[in-house]
Amino acid sequence: MVKLLNNHMLSLVQNETIKMIKKKRFYVVVLVLLILVPIFAYAQMKQAEDKRETYGADWRREVQQAITDNQNSLGSDRVPEEWKKYRQIYIQQMKYYLEHDVNPAQPGGVSFTREFLDNASTLFIPLLIMGIGSDIVSSERTGGTVKMLLTRPVRRWKVLLSKLITLLLFVSLIVVSSFIICYLISGLFFGYKGFNFPVFTGFQLQGADVDMSAVHSVPQWKYLFMQAGLIWFVGIVVAILAFMVSVLVRSTAASIVIMMAALIAGNILSNMASSWTSAKYLFMVNLGLTNYLAGTPAPIEGMNLGFSLVVLAAWAAVSLVVSFLVFTKQDILN
Amino acid sequence: MNTTSRIWRAAGLISAVSTLLLLCGFIYAVRDVIYPVTSEPNGAGSPGDHSLNVPLQVSAMDVTAIGDSLAKGTGDDTGKGFAKRTVEILKKQGTESKLVNNLGINGLTTKKLLPMLDEPGVQYALKQAGMIMLSIGANDLFEGGEPLQTRTELPSEAELNAKVKSATENLSEILAKLHDINPQARIVYISLYNPFSDMKELKNAGDKAVAQWNSIAAETMSSIDGGLVVPTFDLFTLQAGRYLSGDHFHPNGTGYQAIAERIVQGIGVQE
Repeated sequence: MVKLLNNHMLSLVQNETIKMIKKKRFYVVVLVLLILVPIFAYAQMKQAEDKRETYGADWRREVQQAITDNQNSLGSDRVPEEWKKYRQIYIQQMKYYLEHDVNPAQPGGVSFTREFLDNASTLFIPLLIMGIGSDIVSSERTGGTVKMLLTRPVRRWKVLLSKLITLLLFVSLIVVSSFIICYLISGLFFGYKGFNFPVFTGFQLQGADVDMSAVHSVPQWKYLFMQAGLIWFVGIVVAILAFMVSVLVRSTAASIVIMMAALIAGNILSNMASSWTSAKYLFMVNLGLTNYLAGTPAPIEGMNLGFSLVVLAAWAAVSLVVSFLVFTKQDILN
Repeated sequence: MNTTSRIWRAAGLISAVSTLLLLCGFIYAVRDVIYPVTSEPNGAGSPGDHSLNVPLQVSAMDVTAIGDSLAKGTGDDTGKGFAKRTVEILKKQGTESKLVNNLGINGLTTKKLLPMLDEPGVQYALKQAGMIMLSIGANDLFEGGEPLQTRTELPSEAELNAKVKSATENLSEILAKLHDINPQARIVYISLYNPFSDMKELKNAGDKAVAQWNSIAAETMSSIDGGLVVPTFDLFTLQAGRYLSGDHFHPNGTGYQAIAERIVQGIGVQE
């Protein structure tokens, strides 16, 4: 009986996966990556060339100059306190790298991948995921195929579940392919080395002070592995939210707009809402999980990895409940 | 086997494996952030080794500037300051020269500079230099210019004397440390000027303190091999309006250029 049910589910997931591939959504995602990553890599290479003119291959002088420049901005009254905190943290971390004679930005494809995905985790990757998630239910409705789907002798929640599983599988595919594409392309620019290069993690932030007691170095491949895991979790949550919106809103365009607005609002809020502390319960300011790994301060005081995970999980859980309740109860009219 | 089924098998398998891998990464990351393994970081260099490796080829005209806002070049609209301007003059004369680092920090006092010299990054930049340009002391005496301007009464002579005394002790310690870090480098000290020389009520007290400071600085420098004190006092005595920037404390571009020319004269490069 269980096996029968599983087979049933499997064939539904299979059906959804094939639909997803036939609709070429995933190809679009890959195409976007293939076009954008070279652009970023090229820009980064140009920047690195400029720096090399000033500092040669001497990263220590470059890091020391960065420390001095940041120290200078601390003295200025025109710099907001919030920025000063960020810079103080940055200074302490850079000093730590210098003390241990480790280049914080060792050039190479692996480092580029790490930095690129750190920056991509709050907006770019969620955007790609939305691209496939936003219309997974609503498109069936727009196209009228939902009736075909629901007239089959399968219970509604199973239909929805199969769609959800498919979506989550594609989230994994997107995250993994982002890493692979990014590495392969940036390697052309910076070389394919750097997997064993040490990266420091475990900076504990208390206000503007950095507690170094828990800092330890991990090889860069391990860092990428952890980073991918965190980005994947963010992706899953974003996918589930997009999924709910897709159930609730009939029009695909509208559901994309809603999710996009939420994500962009999160990015803006992260930059300016530090004094509005209740904003930390919004899912969109909690998407920067990789910050906790890199030791970059969270947008709002009092946030830590545990907190963000709970907030994200709660939002995802509520979205799931809403999605299933609405989908199983609602009438299909058109 | 038809293509649809093959696509499904490939996509299904790859995504299942990816999911599993990412899940492991996620669990590993959460564990690592929340329960960090506190092992001694083993970087590329030996941990705790504060002496970073220095390449051997250091040219005598490679400049590292360290100290206060003057070293940084505050007030210079081009942002160059005397360090960069010195390098430019040298280059124009055909001497190979480059600015290694400019470690000037606004508002730095002798007291704050001392611990900075223990930082490995700072030491590294100093060791790369054939010439270390130091500007320090103005903030010890004038506290960035602000208190003097806002204060209703002038600092008493005794007060300034005490400041000079404690700060010059720091200065000799700084010079000794610099020499210790890089014994080969020429140390160029940019001595102080009185930024208030065109303000009647501040001229006298300031002049005295600066004169006292400069004489002690020159005395201290005399004990250091190849040390050089560059005078700036006379530049600003009568021509404050020409050489000072809008904040009435820092030199402007012309002022920095004049200081840079003095430095070049002092280090004596053949034209």
